[in-house]
Amino acid sequence: MPTAVGLFSRAPLRWVFTAIVVIVLLVVPLVFDEYTNQNLARIGVFAVAVLGLNVVMGYTGQVSLGQIFFVGAGAYVTGYGATHGWNIVLVFVASVVIPGVMGLVVALAAARLGGLAIAMVTIALPIVGVPLAKRLSDYTGGSQGISSAFSNAPAWTGLYNDQWQLYLVIVIGGAVFLLTRNLVRGKYGRAFAIVKSNEAVAASMGISPYRYKVLAFTVASLIGGVSGFLYMAVIQFTSPETMTFGHSITLLASMVIGGAASIVGSLLGGAYYVLVPQWTNHIDPNMTELLQGALLLLTLFVLPGGVATLPRVIARKLRPKNRSTGGAGRQETPSARPAPGREAVEETPSVGGIPTERQEQA
Amino acid sequence: MNRKKNLRLTGAIALISAVAVTLAGCGRGGDGSSGGAGGESTGITDSTVTLGITTPLSGATAGPGTCTVAGIKAYFGAVNAAGGVKFGDGKTRKVEIKALDDAYDPQKAKSNYDQLKGSVFAMTSGLGTPTNRAYREAAIADKVPQVLVQTGDPIFDDAKQSPYQLGFVPSYANEGEAFGKLLASSGKDLTVAILSQNDDYGEGYVEGFKKGIEGASNVKVVKELTYEATDTSVDAQITQLASTHADVMFNAMSITPLAIAALQKAQQLNWKPSWFLPSNTSSPEAILKPGKASAYPGVYSVSFAKAPQSPAFAKDADVTKFLSDLHKYAKYKGTPAFPHCMWSYMVGATLEQAFQKMTDPTRDSFMKALRSISDFKAPLMLEGTSVNTTMDGQPAVSSVVVQKYNGTGYSTVDSLG
Repeated sequence: MPTAVGLFSRAPLRWVFTAIVVIVLLVVPLVFDEYTNQNLARIGVFAVAVLGLNVVMGYTGQVSLGQIFFVGAGAYVTGYGATHGWNIVLVFVASVVIPGVMGLVVALAAARLGGLAIAMVTIALPIVGVPLAKRLSDYTGGSQGISSAFSNAPAWTGLYNDQWQLYLVIVIGGAVFLLTRNLVRGKYGRAFAIVKSNEAVAASMGISPYRYKVLAFTVASLIGGVSGFLYMAVIQFTSPETMTFGHSITLLASMVIGGAASIVGSLLGGAYYVLVPQWTNHIDPNMTELLQGALLLLTLFVLPGGVATLPRVIARKLRPKNRSTGGAGRQETPSARPAPGREAVEETPSVGGIPTERQEQA
Repeated sequence: MNRKKNLRLTGAIALISAVAVTLAGCGRGGDGSSGGAGGESTGITDSTVTLGITTPLSGATAGPGTCTVAGIKAYFGAVNAAGGVKFGDGKTRKVEIKALDDAYDPQKAKSNYDQLKGSVFAMTSGLGTPTNRAYREAAIADKVPQVLVQTGDPIFDDAKQSPYQLGFVPSYANEGEAFGKLLASSGKDLTVAILSQNDDYGEGYVEGFKKGIEGASNVKVVKELTYEATDTSVDAQITQLASTHADVMFNAMSITPLAIAALQKAQQLNWKPSWFLPSNTSSPEAILKPGKASAYPGVYSVSFAKAPQSPAFAKDADVTKFLSDLHKYAKYKGTPAFPHCMWSYMVGATLEQAFQKMTDPTRDSFMKALRSISDFKAPLMLEGTSVNTTMDGQPAVSSVVVQKYNGTGYSTVDSLG
């Protein structure tokens, strides 16, 4: 195992690996059929939403039940801008900044409260959001919603709509993932982690828990806005039902199932959000929610840290027999690879029973 | 050394890209013409035709949603058991139904549509305005019929804006207009108070009602108030309206507890007008009994389907066949609690009419056949209503009859009083 780890951390190999990922991402839209592309695009949309939730909940430990409100706000801003013929760049900026400002305003008040009180405040967001979207019908189209096909492929590209939309999601979503990864792995990430584990310790080290909570919440709402923009680009329709409270809970479940405080976990969470309703529909359309509930429980029992921890769990199971599989199985998260002697740390669950990447790196 | 490495790296990337682009070139070539949504004859063979439904089968609207599938399954279950539908092109086909759950989420509805569009001939019967709107534009672009869907949104009935769409159930305006006409033709001098929900639902009813009383000098609207769908009480509005002592109360309300509270409050204030309620908040058991509606000179609503619960139809041939089909082919237990079961059954009957008329097994021919049905009396339809798809701007069923509460159920009336 040490050799495998050593091999993989060499810079050129990592570059090749990155290059392969980038090329695969660029080629994927051209290869698959329309339905697969649309599904991948949808997964991207919700992976970004889950990523935002992960920043505030997974990394900073503040319970937020309002993420879908920011997604909905982003989608509405996009829908409004696109139907009124704004420049598309302006639409994008507005769809990120407006939810971000809303998030900042809410966070300034909510972050003063501790623990579950924040959860209570954030519950209010989708609950207020739905009637608000119905009431402001001049901007939101009321309960009939807005549809906008602004994201159809321009003629010069020669692409199908689904391919163009998937490229949009890959480029914008990929950028958000990269930026977020850098954020949570740098000094802000360390500050978030300390605020998550103990606010008093954070304060004693000169890190203001209030400020970092506000920051995390604002970043989460900015990312939610991006997700809303992509939502409109892919689904091309939004209505008050987009931001019902139930979807916020599903986003939360997706985050936990994918893996809290994990970048890959956010992607898996997006996949869960989109694919599981489809699978359960195939099994029995009359029992979708029951099956989803059963799957949620099963995942939490088998993989309490989320699906992102699966390679680690498998590696642990296989270790006595075959020592080298551990490194290979972890190719997708090279920076989160377990180092020898760290296993003891990993196996100790952190707050809430969710082991985090951060712990490994601490 | 370093440069060599970089060169090798560049080479590797170039190779991979070349392979990838070649692969991509082969990938999409095959289905270029159909674009994935399928062609004119997707979902139809010489022996079967497949219909797709996306509707809420879980969540808060699961009850009516389940009905939107059960009714059509019951209808075509019986038709298939008798051999199938004889199409206009001479072939006999069985009808298959693929239903998916969207939980009243527009995003899931679109996803279900994307999943179904490559294998179904048409989308039908699904419940919900936002969920149907979510894939309306995609269905137009793909030329997939989205017909006889269960929403009162008039955009689906506009053949210019929505060439591949057609709604099934009467719009809110149709319902309001029917009651307005009844008042206009009563010949009595009437004053009307209006309380409506402040959204497209309430506006639709009021707009239709005003159209119904247009030009009638005997009907006068004396006061018009609104409430929000999120309000928990309408006592203030009822008190204001009671002070007008209007003869008729037009209450366009979709919230069950508020509808009950409004009926009770007006009685407390000793204001007892003739009272109108929309079809979805007119249930005798759930609303009128707790609201003590028998205190009023008359509580009116509109309908176009025979209610299986009503004693008047207990022995009706349509109703007994409908119930047995529903139990046998749709595995639906008990008497349907929602009218959507009956509506979906009628959707099945209307589709069968279109199938019998279509001369080619194409979506185009189907749309033409579907838009040429007039005065078709589907099973379970009340006397005085019919399916008529030839009028642009109107859903397949735009005729409703006004009914009056008789203490146990509703019976059709043609005048006020």
